[in-house]
Amino acid sequence: MIVLTTIGLGVAAYLTYVHYSGATPVCSIKGNPCSQVQKSVYSTLVGVPVALIGLIGYILILGSLLAPEGERARFATTVLTVGGFGFSAYLTYRELFTLHKICEWCVSSAVIVTVLMLLSIWRFLRGDVPSPGGPSSPAPELEPEPTPPVGATHS
Amino acid sequence: MSDSRDDDPQDDEGDLTRKQRREQARTQRRELEQAEAASAVRRTRLTRLGIVVAVVVAAIVVILLATGGGSKKGIPKTAQAKTQAVSEVTSLVGGIPQNGKVLGNPKAPVTLQYFGDLECPICKEFTLGALPSILRQWVRSGKLKIEYRALETATREPEVFKTQQVAALAAGKQNKMWDFLELFYHEQGEEDSGYVTESYLQALARQVPGLNLPQWTSDRNDPALATEVTGDTEAANNAGFTGTPSFEIGKTGELHPFTPGTYTEPGPYNAQIEKLLKS
Repeated sequence: MIVLTTIGLGVAAYLTYVHYSGATPVCSIKGNPCSQVQKSVYSTLVGVPVALIGLIGYILILGSLLAPEGERARFATTVLTVGGFGFSAYLTYRELFTLHKICEWCVSSAVIVTVLMLLSIWRFLRGDVPSPGGPSSPAPELEPEPTPPVGATHS
Repeated sequence: MSDSRDDDPQDDEGDLTRKQRREQARTQRRELEQAEAASAVRRTRLTRLGIVVAVVVAAIVVILLATGGGSKKGIPKTAQAKTQAVSEVTSLVGGIPQNGKVLGNPKAPVTLQYFGDLECPICKEFTLGALPSILRQWVRSGKLKIEYRALETATREPEVFKTQQVAALAAGKQNKMWDFLELFYHEQGEEDSGYVTESYLQALARQVPGLNLPQWTSDRNDPALATEVTGDTEAANNAGFTGTPSFEIGKTGELHPFTPGTYTEPGPYNAQIEKLLKS
């Protein structure tokens, strides 16, 4: 997941650079639809470049993955990747049904965030059940708790 | 005196069995509690995941609606709106002679060259603002002809610019370029929204009354039209134009740059045309 997130971070960083520098993105598709997508009205959201939103998202995901393993960190990764997937789905919809263009950079980021979301959901649901003695412990050593501990992570 | 129970081996066995039973029961209870706790954690996790998904879906719907929903910012959706746009355009240019990109009497004494970009919102301002009055007063009377020339400004992508301009010129081969232009400006979409697609251009062409669509489609492949677009750009560059709309006006054959100062009021245009007609 860390490797995937790093690749996604690189893609988002490149697109953010393209946005601010006005450079033409590298694109293998004829007619450079990437450039058309990057310069479209949908390349920003309330004035913030969507590439920058993606970059911040990947940084946060990486942070949650590098944080000490535990219920809270796994939940944070899940929230971030589900959010990232939703945002990516919206952007892909705009590409396909509004702009009628497809950008390979955006597609690669969408694929990365989709895989990250699936992995993080699996990791969150299958993760060790936390115990009061530490952030996590193997399931066989589980001690009954008066309240579900996951509630404590909610902020 | 010792306790008799301690001396009785049978009692010892009974104690062991009770201890084992208690231990077994405790283990079973612990396992049950562990299973229940694990189940509760799983349920909580699923609930939290469900909440996250619901919040994300709601956020995306809000973003979608805030950024224009699923609508295409181009051709009016309703048949009534389309009919109204066609009706307005027909009343503006219907009955006026057209020859390629020129609208008006070919022998008109005064010529106005209009450099525009079909996606340029200020061109729309002019086309729907000052131009209708100019058409009624000067073009319809045969005193002025207007030549539309292309200069890429608002359209970000050169390929899109060329495609849409060639589409207009192809309509011009059937002397319906001005119908196409006017409809384009009347139904112009939001700048940079990428609304000009192949299907958009075809739908627009279908709205042009009397346009032979197979012929129009075939003419769009004429390389001479693309060359004409390049020629327009060169002419604009030679005149020093960098924005649209830009104008050249003069007695036919003697054109000079003209800066009207307004795109919505016909006054300065009328004054210039009158001056040229009197000279």
